[in-house]
Amino acid sequence: MVDGSLTADGGKMTKFRLTMCALLALTLFATSGAAADLTDSLKLGKADLKSVGVLAFGPDGVLFAGDSMGGQIFAIDTQDRTPSTASAVEVMGLTGKIAAMLGTMPDQITLNDIAVNPASKKTYVSVSRGIGVNATPVIVRIDTTGKLEALSLDNVKYSSVALPNPVNASTGGRGGNSRLQAITDIAFLDNRVFVAGLSNEEFSSTLRSIAFPFNSADKGTNVEIWHGSHNQFETNSPIRTFLPYKVNGEQTILASYTCTPLVKVPVSSLKSGAKVMGTTIAEFGAGNTPLDMIAYSKGGKNYILMSNTSRGVMKFSADGLETFSPITKQVPDKAGVPYETIATLTNVAQMDQFDAQRVVILEKSGDLRTVALP
Amino acid sequence: MLSVVARGALAACLLLFVQAPVVRFDSARNLFLLENWPGAAQMPAERYRDVLQVFVDAPDVPAMLGQYRVDAGALVFSPQYPIQPGVKYRAVARIPGTSPITVLVDIPKPAVKSTTVVERIYPSVNVLPENQLKFYIHFSAPMARGFGYDHIVLRDQNGAIVKVPFLELTEELWDPTGQRFTLFLDPGRIKRGLVSQQQLGMALIEGGRYTLSIDKGWKDAQGNPLAADFEKIFTVGPADRQPIDLRAWTVRDPASGTRNPLTLVFPEPLDHAILERDLDVVDASGAVIEGGVAIGPEEKSWIFTPDKAWKSGLYTVRLGTAIADLAGNMINRPFEIDVFDKVDEELLHFKYVFPFAVQ
Repeated sequence: MVDGSLTADGGKMTKFRLTMCALLALTLFATSGAAADLTDSLKLGKADLKSVGVLAFGPDGVLFAGDSMGGQIFAIDTQDRTPSTASAVEVMGLTGKIAAMLGTMPDQITLNDIAVNPASKKTYVSVSRGIGVNATPVIVRIDTTGKLEALSLDNVKYSSVALPNPVNASTGGRGGNSRLQAITDIAFLDNRVFVAGLSNEEFSSTLRSIAFPFNSADKGTNVEIWHGSHNQFETNSPIRTFLPYKVNGEQTILASYTCTPLVKVPVSSLKSGAKVMGTTIAEFGAGNTPLDMIAYSKGGKNYILMSNTSRGVMKFSADGLETFSPITKQVPDKAGVPYETIATLTNVAQMDQFDAQRVVILEKSGDLRTVALP
Repeated sequence: MLSVVARGALAACLLLFVQAPVVRFDSARNLFLLENWPGAAQMPAERYRDVLQVFVDAPDVPAMLGQYRVDAGALVFSPQYPIQPGVKYRAVARIPGTSPITVLVDIPKPAVKSTTVVERIYPSVNVLPENQLKFYIHFSAPMARGFGYDHIVLRDQNGAIVKVPFLELTEELWDPTGQRFTLFLDPGRIKRGLVSQQQLGMALIEGGRYTLSIDKGWKDAQGNPLAADFEKIFTVGPADRQPIDLRAWTVRDPASGTRNPLTLVFPEPLDHAILERDLDVVDASGAVIEGGVAIGPEEKSWIFTPDKAWKSGLYTVRLGTAIADLAGNMINRPFEIDVFDKVDEELLHFKYVFPFAVQ
């Protein structure tokens, strides 16, 4: 509070000036803090998610959540910033425990995604309670002792942005709106939120890049990523999962399509309305869909770990990705970046990095475990 | 005759009996209550959960989420989420100095007859191109999510199961009502030159006869299985790699003064869902004409009935860029292309139009 007694008293004036200086300094600090603290733009209220699927952490305890049913991305202040040096989390029968906490049975819930807060090491799980379209979205937080709690969404600092749905623009609102975009991955990078989605009608890729803090006037840029140069044929292919990663110093999106080739796309090319060719650098074989990717370093080398629907968890070197020639013709089987399948990691439904040495795995059995990065 | 002393003792016993703490479930209000315990009124709110907890009756599970309050002397637990029929709950009261009181509450699940069925599958035609891209499965009621691919099987004419023919997404692709499931065939087996396509080949082979089966074990949103299995039998023709050619489309103009439909006719079936949403009609001033849309037999026509009678003049059907045929070929743009030109559909959604006149 300003000590504002404006008198001729020199001491008082000095104090006033000092106070004003302090206020100015505070204001400047707050201004610079706006750029530094991600929660400043978030407002207190009810985060009205219609569903909750993919999760990703930004800095300052901000959790980004994809709401496919509502066609929105939420940024939620988890107020979870206390650093932890814990080395593991383990919850056996997590599905059953979450179901019980929500007053129901395991077959009535779905665990959609997990994300570990890189500071607190707490694991966040997006949950659908119920099996129909009216399932209730819940975010469960698990501390490193295995204690579960539900994150309150009723009175929380948040902001959201709606993803444009082309139906509204094209039909003037006629008829029912049956088109939905399943949000398949989300990531925060340099004050932008990247969102990959797959339509339930047309087969196409939309990778959106949305500025954060969210601004209703800025729906972000929409980029078509094409999957090219196989037999010279190209299709506009849906991205299933992606990972921001620097390749030889250039900020890149490493993306994997529903049919598993790995492509790289320079972030600098992601401009509004652009059509971008993803450079195919690896093919990982047939009959498989990628689920998650994480990047890590071990023994002075860089790696990427990719979980899949049917080909287990793969590890490949992330060093020298720029040296692989684009795959431009038919290959007999696997091609490009070599990989190994991690035999000890099986039945992985979801995974996220726990710390520099470990990864948290949600197994298909419903157990949550921490294991060393291979 | 009981003596006065005996009567007094009985009364005291009855009083004790009546006033013994009781845990019960109020099914009308979906509340769990600890009654007849005077300590509730004096207890600080943060200790309510130490005294009364409700669990799903399963081993080693945390207590259910909910809110506590004291109401009319009773400690009340209100579950955060609705009590679920078919689930057994265990309410435990731990009153200091006494043995825990445990009450099991079995919420019966009413027997419901299965009524939900697969109503139809698009495409409705029974000859599909070898590079068929997707099916839309329509149900009569909202369905459960997360189990779809377990209940869909594709068999060839010998009854052999076609291996991994579909793109299986854990998110599943439903419409907002939960009544339409989008089933993509694995694009990796359709796109030429990919490893999947070389290793496994096309999922559908020209000349083959296939059965797409939906088994009735697929549950609806109420948790009930379907009332019946469903099969779609089709044969496979040549791959379609040709873009949609608007020059082959015809229009049946309506007459002015009538609400007769405008009908666009195309030579091949188009994607049902996109036809429903991605075309509209504007008049010469560009104003959108309100009306209803129907898709004709075999998805070979688009039928628009205006809300108000047509006036004479020039009109335009605007065609969205998402319009596609069964193999994902779009207007002037095949599913797979061998050119790389700049796209600007984002700015120009209605790149193509189909003019007509009303006289």
